[in-house]
Amino acid sequence: MIRVMLLLCVFATSSFAADAGKIEFNRDIRPLFSKHCTACHGGVKAAGNISFVYRDKAIATGKSGEKAIVPGKPQASELIKRVTSTDPDEVMPKPDHEPRLSEQEVATLTKWIEQGAVWTESWAFEPPVELPLPKVNQTDWPRLPMDRWVLAKLEAEGLAPSKAAAPAEWLRRVSLDLTGLPPTLEDAQDFLHKTHQSPSSHKPYEEVVDRLLKSPHSGERWASMWLDLARYSDTFGFEKDPHRDIWPWRDWVIRAFNADLPFDQFTIKQLAGDLLPNPSGDNLLATAFHRNTQNNTEGGTDDEEYRTAAVIDRVNTTWTAWQATTFGCVMCHSHPYDPFPHRDFYRFAAFFNSTEDTDLNDDFPRLPFPDDAAKRDEMARLAQEQTKLREKLNADGSSLAKMKWQPWSPKSMSTTGGELKPGKDARIDATGTLPIGVVYTLSMPVVQGITALRLDIFPDSDDPKKWPERGSVLSHLKLSVKHADGKAEPVKLSDVFADFLAGPFDPQATLTDDANGFGGYPVLAGPRWCVITLDKPLPAAAGDTLELVMEQKAASNSGFQGLPLRHFQWSISKDERWPALATNEQRKVTTARLNEVRAALNKIGGTNVPVMVQRSTNAQRATRVFTRGNRLAPDELVEAGIPELSRPPEKQHDLTRLDMARWLVSDRNTLTARVLANRLWAEMFGRGIVETLEDFGTTGARPTHPELLDHLALRLRTTHKWSVKTFLREIALSATYAQSSKASLALIERDPKNTLYARGPRTRLTAEMVRDQALVVSGLFAPKMFGPPVYPPQPEGVWNSAYSGAKWNTSTGEDRYRRALYTYAKRTSGYPAALTFDAPTRDACTARRIPTNTPLQALVSLNDPAFFELAQAFAKRMTAHGTTLRDHIEHGCQLLTLTKPSSAMVETLIKLHDNALKEPGTDEANAMALVANTLLNMDAVMVR
Amino acid sequence: MNHQLLLHQTRRHFLRDCSSGLGALWLASTASRAWGASGPLKKDPAHPLLPANGHFQARAKHVIYLHMAGSPSQLELFDYKPELKRLDGRDCPMSMLAGKQFAFIQGVPQLLGPQYEFKQHGQSGQWFSDRLPHLARMTDDLCFIKSMHTDQFNHGPAQLLMHTGSQNPGLPCAGAWATYGLGSDNQNLPGFIVLTSGGKNPDAGKSVWGSGFLPSVYQGVQCRSQGDPVLFLSNPEGVTRSQRRLTLDALAELNQRTAAEVGDPETLTRIAQYEMAFNMQASATDAFNIQQEPAHIHALYGTQPGQESFANNCLLARRLVERGVRYIQLFDWGWDSHGASKSEALNGGFIDKCRSVDQALAALIADLKQRGLLDDTLVIWGGEFGRTSMQENRGGKKMALTGRDHNPLAFTVWMAGGGVKPGYTHGSTDDLGYEAVVDKVSPHDFHATLLHLLGFDHTRFSYPVAGVNMRLSNVTKPGSKVVKEIVA
Repeated sequence: MIRVMLLLCVFATSSFAADAGKIEFNRDIRPLFSKHCTACHGGVKAAGNISFVYRDKAIATGKSGEKAIVPGKPQASELIKRVTSTDPDEVMPKPDHEPRLSEQEVATLTKWIEQGAVWTESWAFEPPVELPLPKVNQTDWPRLPMDRWVLAKLEAEGLAPSKAAAPAEWLRRVSLDLTGLPPTLEDAQDFLHKTHQSPSSHKPYEEVVDRLLKSPHSGERWASMWLDLARYSDTFGFEKDPHRDIWPWRDWVIRAFNADLPFDQFTIKQLAGDLLPNPSGDNLLATAFHRNTQNNTEGGTDDEEYRTAAVIDRVNTTWTAWQATTFGCVMCHSHPYDPFPHRDFYRFAAFFNSTEDTDLNDDFPRLPFPDDAAKRDEMARLAQEQTKLREKLNADGSSLAKMKWQPWSPKSMSTTGGELKPGKDARIDATGTLPIGVVYTLSMPVVQGITALRLDIFPDSDDPKKWPERGSVLSHLKLSVKHADGKAEPVKLSDVFADFLAGPFDPQATLTDDANGFGGYPVLAGPRWCVITLDKPLPAAAGDTLELVMEQKAASNSGFQGLPLRHFQWSISKDERWPALATNEQRKVTTARLNEVRAALNKIGGTNVPVMVQRSTNAQRATRVFTRGNRLAPDELVEAGIPELSRPPEKQHDLTRLDMARWLVSDRNTLTARVLANRLWAEMFGRGIVETLEDFGTTGARPTHPELLDHLALRLRTTHKWSVKTFLREIALSATYAQSSKASLALIERDPKNTLYARGPRTRLTAEMVRDQALVVSGLFAPKMFGPPVYPPQPEGVWNSAYSGAKWNTSTGEDRYRRALYTYAKRTSGYPAALTFDAPTRDACTARRIPTNTPLQALVSLNDPAFFELAQAFAKRMTAHGTTLRDHIEHGCQLLTLTKPSSAMVETLIKLHDNALKEPGTDEANAMALVANTLLNMDAVMVR
Repeated sequence: MNHQLLLHQTRRHFLRDCSSGLGALWLASTASRAWGASGPLKKDPAHPLLPANGHFQARAKHVIYLHMAGSPSQLELFDYKPELKRLDGRDCPMSMLAGKQFAFIQGVPQLLGPQYEFKQHGQSGQWFSDRLPHLARMTDDLCFIKSMHTDQFNHGPAQLLMHTGSQNPGLPCAGAWATYGLGSDNQNLPGFIVLTSGGKNPDAGKSVWGSGFLPSVYQGVQCRSQGDPVLFLSNPEGVTRSQRRLTLDALAELNQRTAAEVGDPETLTRIAQYEMAFNMQASATDAFNIQQEPAHIHALYGTQPGQESFANNCLLARRLVERGVRYIQLFDWGWDSHGASKSEALNGGFIDKCRSVDQALAALIADLKQRGLLDDTLVIWGGEFGRTSMQENRGGKKMALTGRDHNPLAFTVWMAGGGVKPGYTHGSTDDLGYEAVVDKVSPHDFHATLLHLLGFDHTRFSYPVAGVNMRLSNVTKPGSKVVKEIVA
């Protein structure tokens, strides 16, 4: 028994041979450096100025004055001297860190240096290459080139493929893999009949795969995979974890998979659909991918902190999902193992740093997405026109503002909170406690003929590195003239023109009595100015005083941080062109159209979904390197860019998010195709060719079949032009996939994790499949697609978030029996049954679910009332078939396994039924429900 | 060993042997590999909670962590500041405000003196306000850290930092680390159990007891005071325990055949997991039945069976420790004394909160002690940050009720048992109780110390994730250290 347990649990460690022949850097040397050296001599710490991550630093002269590596001369290389030294002060690795290198490892290093210390970048950063197909002996086995690569390796290992799976085994597996649903008995009977008729024909298999890929349910199954990467959730996350309407994006993903939208388009639309020329409604909707970031609405949380957190999350998610690269490391320092310098992170972050969203409680910006596609396009056109019209109207004034202004100091000033003091020039500084809603009142003698006022808002610091700071917003300006007799007369203001338009507020709101207005909101990222115009020059009489009442009601950080003006200055103009703007005919036409567009947008209906909206050119945010990843320690400015290591596009400057998205799916990119091919392979085989789906870097797993991976990547990208369905079709019809999953003890012992594919895959169902399979066999399955999330039964009191009144109102009717994909996904309180079966919380991008096997899972599938309800329905379905107990049970087994059960199996279940019935108070229905409950928990049913 | 022999491992045989036989053999064969070399711990997939040892002898075998969610005011409970009393009502000096960020305070707030009377207690002479008279009697068992500080000033992120070492969701919490490293002494209960009171889950939601990148079997299992203590523990309506036994016997027969036919070792694991679930149904139901306790114990704790209360959870925590559960995490919600409403004012809800925990806290320590469990059970009490020395002035306005804003610069945590010095105080704050100044302790130092007490060198207790050996004590900000002074 000991041996059995050992063989189940202890996995063989790989070793490489320092035998004759050429040393290969990536295979033989880099793992040695990573294992023994780079913790101290790496990308984070380069002790003694030596790093084994960058070649130039490895061959440079270190602090000791010696060269670690002298290509061709091991005896002159300090590296060899140190690893062979017997002096405890000299030897590397240091004795208290690591044991000595083995003789074999030293020999490998020595030989590598002798051969010239050839250094190549990690395989993942070299382009994939299509190698000539290998020779194999069992030539009648492969159906596809991919099978040849698998077989070649098996033969090299002295193994042979397993025989083909029985048609029923293959059908159940392929149905669950491609659609996430088990086949119906009718589908199975049809297929089994055909394979029985013509056992050697491949056609029935092809028909099945084509039928499955055509099923609208396949889009749902593959969307499930993508939602983990996208960290899709129906809530914001964090404390209150409020509801977020972003399910229309989830539906877009389902439709995209169903339409087999090529993955390059799928990528570009999600990352930069808003930047495509004249984007369609769906192009805008697709960008909600990166609005699945969390939003913190907890009272008093710093909006800028969580805006930055969302930007960082977008960088990390993009690199994990498309590049399987642990780019997050580079946030704080250069990558410890792969040659990405620290600033690369921020160069890449700059692609995401200038969108309008800024952790506001209403999830701004959102756009309304109607259910109808044509209406969505109409909405997209209107939204873009609205932006253009607003820009145009504002430009009339902002271009005119480049004139000389006369600074204007008040004679007296007062405030309802804190203190106002004259500052340098005509500036005014406000200090002390400035509560939300603080009002400043300034007055001075009226100057004849004023036509416009200019407000300049200044930050606390002149140092751009200290920006952005707390916001600064004038929410309402009231102007009046006080005559000598004490009577006050309001002055009519006509327009507000801003230096630029950004954020949720329309500067015009400065003229109305709400909290919206002009300024830096929620943060001030540098000086701002606006011009407020009068509709006619202001007349002046002796003794007239002009009074400015400045209200500051805006608040950030979920409404708790006041945003008063702290440093500001007023100037005046008497230029006649300002009042002329109010009567300009062209402006009237534009304004009328803007009003029409706004009205049409308000009327269009649909669901408001958060999307990516790029700020205008003059409202771009500066991106700085954060020292050690600390947002509060910004350093040098950087321009948007792609790491050198990752073969950036030729265009070097002014790269946009769209350029970045196109680069990801371009032929220059060495990773996207490999990462996707590997992911799809893993979904079908339960394990990637690179096991670490999330990490293709130096510290990730090495591909078990590198040539196969490259072949698949190129097949996907070039041959199939990114068609996911065509690619999946090939895998499903391959000889490798067709193998039976049955394994001899010898094979299990030889290859416990099935890394060689000498047998077919056998993987536990995903959390979604566990529910969906039970739904289908119970007969209760509601195939309804799309729409808002649903609430299948969950125990009372599971939702209990702080400061949230959200209630779980259990769905009735068909919504109670929808696929798991549509179950409400709340970040701080996931659906318990799904979490127990390893579904992630969707806090962050999850590239791989690690399947577990725990008693809590057994409690779910045995006892969860939602699950038991399906068992009861399944029991009824069984009872309705045939006349004897044996008939019922056989039918139940067949619904699940697609084959006629063995008599032993039926006997076991009959015994269970009969014994259960002996319990007092148990009726026939209860006993059958127990049989159904048992069937649904069988190992053979919990796996695919 | 042949195939037949493998399959001969019948269900009961498999289980009966799991802790003394099979599992022990498995452990013995791999123990030498378990520590030292990098890489994840080698775990028996069928018994991932088998007990294991840390790097060295543990001082604490169990942890009961009492988290007062919302963060109680240290200035009204333990950190006595006469100088603050003297300056009550004065404008806060600018030096205390420059460069500081607050959740709600605006501009220049006023200092607020301690709201309750303080007295020294016991031989150790430690200070308590009059809000915790029962706990004050246990003073000579308590070990205070008065110099805790954090860098998070909002609840969700600060709670995450206190439990996972990071303010962002998605990392394993201390309980998950402890259970991963040490397993649990009871295979029929989850190794890491979470109990909540106060009517709400903590602000950070279930992420504070998540397992992050560790296998999900190490995440906290939230047990409930209403309905099943563990979700889905009860059989469905109409299914009796003996019928459940019948179904599991049938299931085992069916699965044995599958194992014989297909040869997938996971099938045998699944059989074992179902058996464990069956045992858990009995043992968890028993563990959570506090009605079994005698009247004098209920009197000691102030417990009333059937209610959701902190006192009930304290009693449950003791019962779970008795049964070998490794890590018990309590959250009690409602300590956020801003003064913005009566229920969360220092002169309102705070009084009730103190009353609702005082007796149970004292009872828990006394009860563990009288059963000889306190020596190897570490009890921890604290919030996620402290409270300001200033009266809150939400929106820049004067508030009618008394309250304090969040203060990341100073807070108090106390511990008892499990290898910490009894009757001892570590660290201190400035004269106004605003900032920790002497022997400061960060959440990462706190984690390093917790792991030390559990028998781990925090720098070596790691799990490889995407190329980094991640640790509870934070790899990205090295320098966390064990607070040796508090170790007995």
